[in-house]
Amino acid sequence: MASQPLTEPAARTAADWRDFYALTKPRVMTLVIFTGLCGLLAAPGPIDPVLGFTAILCIAAGAGGAAALNQWWEADLDGQMKRTRHRPVPAGRVSPTSARDFGFGLAGASVLVMGLANDWLPAAILAFSIFYYAWIYTVWLKPRTPQNIVIGGGAGAFPPLIGWVAVTHHLSLMPVILFLIIFVWTPPHFWALALFVQIDYAKVGIPMMPVVAGERSTRRQILAYAVLLLAVTLAPWVLGLAGWIYGVSALGLGAMFVWLSARVGLRQSVPEGDAMKPEKRLFAYSILYLFILFAMLVVDHVAGLGA
Amino acid sequence: MSQPLTPAELAAYRARQRSRSRALGLILVGLAVLFFAITLVKIKHAADLRRANAVAKPVAPAAPGAQTGH
Repeated sequence: MASQPLTEPAARTAADWRDFYALTKPRVMTLVIFTGLCGLLAAPGPIDPVLGFTAILCIAAGAGGAAALNQWWEADLDGQMKRTRHRPVPAGRVSPTSARDFGFGLAGASVLVMGLANDWLPAAILAFSIFYYAWIYTVWLKPRTPQNIVIGGGAGAFPPLIGWVAVTHHLSLMPVILFLIIFVWTPPHFWALALFVQIDYAKVGIPMMPVVAGERSTRRQILAYAVLLLAVTLAPWVLGLAGWIYGVSALGLGAMFVWLSARVGLRQSVPEGDAMKPEKRLFAYSILYLFILFAMLVVDHVAGLGA
Repeated sequence: MSQPLTPAELAAYRARQRSRSRALGLILVGLAVLFFAITLVKIKHAADLRRANAVAKPVAPAAPGAQTGH
């Protein structure tokens, strides 16, 4: 079932500013801002604090705009899922047209300000990341393939790359590795969530991996990606692009990630009504993992150990 | 045709509009301050670059037989 934007008339009450704020998916934006900031701080070279703040603001606004467009497009599906039915558009607090215009406006403004205040290379990458999330993931991939999370995860991987390029004004290997870290982190993170909310996704016909390929396959792939993630996160240390503070942190955090993924991946049977504790634990840890890993990258850089 | 708003609904509607307008006003003021700060930074960078170029540019020696003023 492909999603279509809602076309109902506007709600009887005017939308509150908090409803528009909710359209930007603030909890996701926290991670976007943090990883973008880490990319900016870990990059070699100085950046004026005002321009650095502006770059992070543009990354956040771009992500918020893309999130609003995602909510506009998927409002009909969101209304059928327990987890998302209270979002502003399906709940009737914001009209679909307002959500659409807000999304486009915020996205466009973020790219323009990034280009004028900073440089057109990070602005171009930001524009592509918005297109990637709002179109490639939301409209094209999500309703069509269980690999939607794998490829769509690229959208969330752009912030540290953009933050880095906002400082250096050119692309190099390290920001690409930062991109790959989040790219490879996204599938086990989302599939852990999908394992304990799969009923909701099945109801609206979204081809999430547990629904399409089955739980067992999903569990194996979570473990496989966790091992791959460990290898990717160690690459900066091995290549001499980051120091031992980051390297040891990546090793320890990654080992824990693999351990928790193994508890999910090697689980043979899940009884009816199971509380799904290993899956929830992995999902919660995956968020903490990313925060700490990127924080250690900054600490490593500040300590003068990075390239 | 939709029903007209009751007085209570109208009051809630206006309150939300005012709240949204206040938030938008704050955002616009914040953006104006930010753009001003960005402008100052850009002007300072341009001035620093011009000063650095002036220092780096070698001074051409005077040609032989040129008037020296005495």
